[in-house]
Amino acid sequence: MKLLVVSAALVAALLATGCATSVNTVSRAQPQATPNYVADQRVITDSTLGRKVGIVSVNDAKVSGDLLKIQVTLENKSSKPQAFTYKFDWVGQDGMELSGPTGGWKQIQLEGREVRAVSAIATSPKAVDFRLKLREN
Amino acid sequence: MKLAIATTAAAAALLLSGCATKNDAKYVDSQGPNTIVSLNQINIQDWNNAADKLVASLLASGVLERAPELPAVMAISRIRNNTQQQVDTDNLTKKIRIALNQTGKVVTTTTLGADGKVEDAVAADVGAMQSFMAGEKQKTVLPYYTLSGKLLEDRVSSGSTKQVTYTFQLSLTTTKNGLAVWEGEEQITKQGQRSSVGW
Repeated sequence: MKLLVVSAALVAALLATGCATSVNTVSRAQPQATPNYVADQRVITDSTLGRKVGIVSVNDAKVSGDLLKIQVTLENKSSKPQAFTYKFDWVGQDGMELSGPTGGWKQIQLEGREVRAVSAIATSPKAVDFRLKLREN
Repeated sequence: MKLAIATTAAAAALLLSGCATKNDAKYVDSQGPNTIVSLNQINIQDWNNAADKLVASLLASGVLERAPELPAVMAISRIRNNTQQQVDTDNLTKKIRIALNQTGKVVTTTTLGADGKVEDAVAADVGAMQSFMAGEKQKTVLPYYTLSGKLLEDRVSSGSTKQVTYTFQLSLTTTKNGLAVWEGEEQITKQGQRSSVGW
C-alpha cells in the first residue's frame, strides 16, 4: 500500500514538474506578411515521424536576384521535444540534381507543439525545384 | 545429421552475406548524419553547417548585388583562430568561396592574400611575366570585397557533462571605404560525456 502511495506521488510530482515542455506562442492576429505559398506533394515512408512532425506550409522567394529560397514550416504535433535531421536538395530546369559544397543533413529539435520554419537558399541560379528530406534521429 | 547440415549451411550463408563486425572501417557520407561527433574538436559537419548558414545569411542580405560590377572580386583576408586547436580555416572559407562562386556573383582572387601570402604564386608570377613581355605595367585586379573572420571556442562542464561552443564570425568589407557591409556569426554547441557517432 505504501509503495502504491509513493508511486502515485512520484507520478504526480513528475506531471507537476512538466516533463512535456510544449511551447506557447503569440503572434499578430492579422498577419501582414504575404508569403508565396508553393503547392507541395509529400511522400511519407516513415509514418512514425510523419505522425510526430507535420508540414504546415511551403513558401518560396528569390534572394540576391536570382537564387531560389525555400522555407518549410514544420510543426511538432506532440507535447514532447522531437529531434530529427533534414536536408534540402536542389534540382535544375533539366531535372538534374545540383550539387554544392554546402547543404548536408542538419539537426533540428522542435519543442513540444512548436512551429518553426527551416529554410535554405540554392547557391546556383540554375535551381528551380527542391526536395526536403526529413529523417528521425 | 540433418541438423548439423542445416547449421553449417546457415553459418556459411552468414559468412557469405558478409556480417561485418562493428569495428570494420566503412565509408559514410561526409555530409550525412552518421559522421562522428566529438567534443574536443571542430568536426566536418560543424564546418559544413557553419559555412552553410553563413552563406545563406550573406546571400539573403542582398549586399552582393550592390557591387558595381558582377561578379565582384573578393580576397580572403585573415581568419583568426582563437580556439585551442590547430585548424585549417580553409575548411570554412573554401566552402564559402565555392558557394559564392556558384552564385555567379563573386569570384575570389588567388593572387592576393593576407600578409602578402599568395595562394597561387604561379598565377601571380605568370601575370607579372606576361605584362613584362608585353612591355606593359602589370594590371592587378584589386578586390572589391575582403572576407575576414575569427574562430572562437568556449568550454564549460557540469559534473561529467562537457559542453563546447564554437563560434564562427565573418565580415565582408568593401575595400573602397573599409566598411563591413555584411557580418555573420554562427554558433555550434555540442554537449555530452564522450564522443559519439551520429547526431
